[in-house]
Amino acid sequence: MRNKICFFASLLLILVMAAPALAAVGCDLNDPDRDVARFFPESSGYKTTYVSIDKRGDETMLRRMEKRLGDRFHGIYETIDVPYTIYEIQSGKRKIGYIHGVNQKGQFGGIQVFVALDLSGRIKSFYIQKMTSQWAKKLRDPKFGRQFAGLSLKDFEAYDPATGKGSGRMAEIRNPAPEAEEDFRAALRALKKNLILMDEFVYAAEKGKP
Amino acid sequence: MINRFQIAYRNLLRKKARTLLTLVGIMLSSWVLVSLLGFNRGYEHALNRDIDNMGYQLMVMAKGCPYEAATMMLQGGTGLRYIEQSMVDDIVSRPEVDKVTPILMQAFFDPDKGDGCGIAGYFGVEAATFPAMKPFFRFRQGGWFRDETAAEAVMGFEAAELEQREVGDMILVPEKNVQLKVVGILERTGTQDDGTIFVPLKTLQKISATDKITTIGIKVKKDADSAKLETALYKLPDVQVVSFTQVKQTIMKLVATARVMVLSIAIIALLIAMVGVVNTILMSVLERLQEIGILKTMGAMPRDIFILVWTETLILCSSGGIAGIGMAFVFARLSDILVRRILPYAPGGELVAIDMKLAFLTLAVIVVVGLLSGIYPAWKAGRVRPLESIRSEG
Repeated sequence: MRNKICFFASLLLILVMAAPALAAVGCDLNDPDRDVARFFPESSGYKTTYVSIDKRGDETMLRRMEKRLGDRFHGIYETIDVPYTIYEIQSGKRKIGYIHGVNQKGQFGGIQVFVALDLSGRIKSFYIQKMTSQWAKKLRDPKFGRQFAGLSLKDFEAYDPATGKGSGRMAEIRNPAPEAEEDFRAALRALKKNLILMDEFVYAAEKGKP
Repeated sequence: MINRFQIAYRNLLRKKARTLLTLVGIMLSSWVLVSLLGFNRGYEHALNRDIDNMGYQLMVMAKGCPYEAATMMLQGGTGLRYIEQSMVDDIVSRPEVDKVTPILMQAFFDPDKGDGCGIAGYFGVEAATFPAMKPFFRFRQGGWFRDETAAEAVMGFEAAELEQREVGDMILVPEKNVQLKVVGILERTGTQDDGTIFVPLKTLQKISATDKITTIGIKVKKDADSAKLETALYKLPDVQVVSFTQVKQTIMKLVATARVMVLSIAIIALLIAMVGVVNTILMSVLERLQEIGILKTMGAMPRDIFILVWTETLILCSSGGIAGIGMAFVFARLSDILVRRILPYAPGGELVAIDMKLAFLTLAVIVVVGLLSGIYPAWKAGRVRPLESIRSEG
């Protein structure tokens, strides 16, 4: 019996080895049921949709997003085919908000930045799901996340990820771990990118509806 | 002076359409035969190569120690047991062993990997011995470690994707807060290696404050008795042996079964062609009874008539055979593509392997079987009675 299992497992391995390469990596909630209830306690359910820039638009859309971000989508992990997971949150039959996450290159590893948004695109909660850093604890602290509550893409327009400088409400954001300046800036860049993606994929499309 | 070949050739040209159709039949059969034999050989070679490329066939580790990264993760990085590195020298000296590589698996607790925390798994491997065990590894970026004590890491495709790493970036070993420089990122392999971070063995031993290892990977010599080696390894104290040899043997048995089917199809194709040869030559003999009778009255012996008719068979089979083999050579790559379409999970490399040796072997088979098929018509022609055949209506 064990030999048979071993054999079929190995056959499966051979089949998997021959399978074509998959697309770029997405960013999902580790435990959506738990996380949705935490961000939206009034929610009764959620719907998951998968979008990517190449499915919703083309190279022009990518360039437009880069321009809005003020930085290139660089590296081999910010490609046009990266799948983005959007959680549409519902309370009964009513839509009450969204949760969306992006991957971001950090100093020592990938950072997964999630944001919970209301229907107007205003931040309800900000959450770093994963970060590899000696100072990750400080940046993952809810106190840091609370600084972003109420902000929207409009506020982030005054933030330049390339220089790490911002004005208005963005200038008030404090880095709780000055030793991890690189990761702090990475988190802010991820958040701005996250809001731009949501605007392009969701809010702009909704505004366009009759 | 006209020779026997010329006569036979002219006889064949008398009924051009029939001769051509028979030739096409033999050509197609030869094409199928040589392609199937080539596929049979090419597929087996490719599969053998793929199985060998899977890496080591045997793993030795401490009893009860998880041997898969996934199991190690499920156990939360606990349950690791160690063996002495000196055991590597013990094993490498055995006659059945081709190569060995020591491995140290380590899992570190990462409190900031999700809410439930996470485990980061590392494989300590030797740059000198490990790459030879995984010849199918291809680098997307960079290469292996500079030396065995370098503070460097090579990342599997998915590990690099998840951590968004590129060559030159740094990673941090959680718990230990040791920084390592990424020097290589592997292409996707579809195995657990995709999610693995490889670190020089000595570096990981230093980080983990141990001089031991968890696993020894063993590649067995091609024709060695791996079952015997397995039994011998079980005698080592407190170790368990995990073997992939049986998997290989089972796959090869399946291939052998498929080979019988392939050869059966080839034989059927050959038989169909030969029935065509018998039909053509026999028809040709029956149509020329008067002519054969006249040849006999002129002094031709039954042996001469037999050889003349047999020569026609020889010309037909060798020309058809050569044309078919030529077609098989010309369309080998196309056959390869078609086979891959039908078998999407076929092993890598050349699937239809045709060379001159196989071509000559196929030609010999076609000619010999053709000549055997020509015996009856030739014998019938040799037995023709001159007076009866001349009197018969033409």
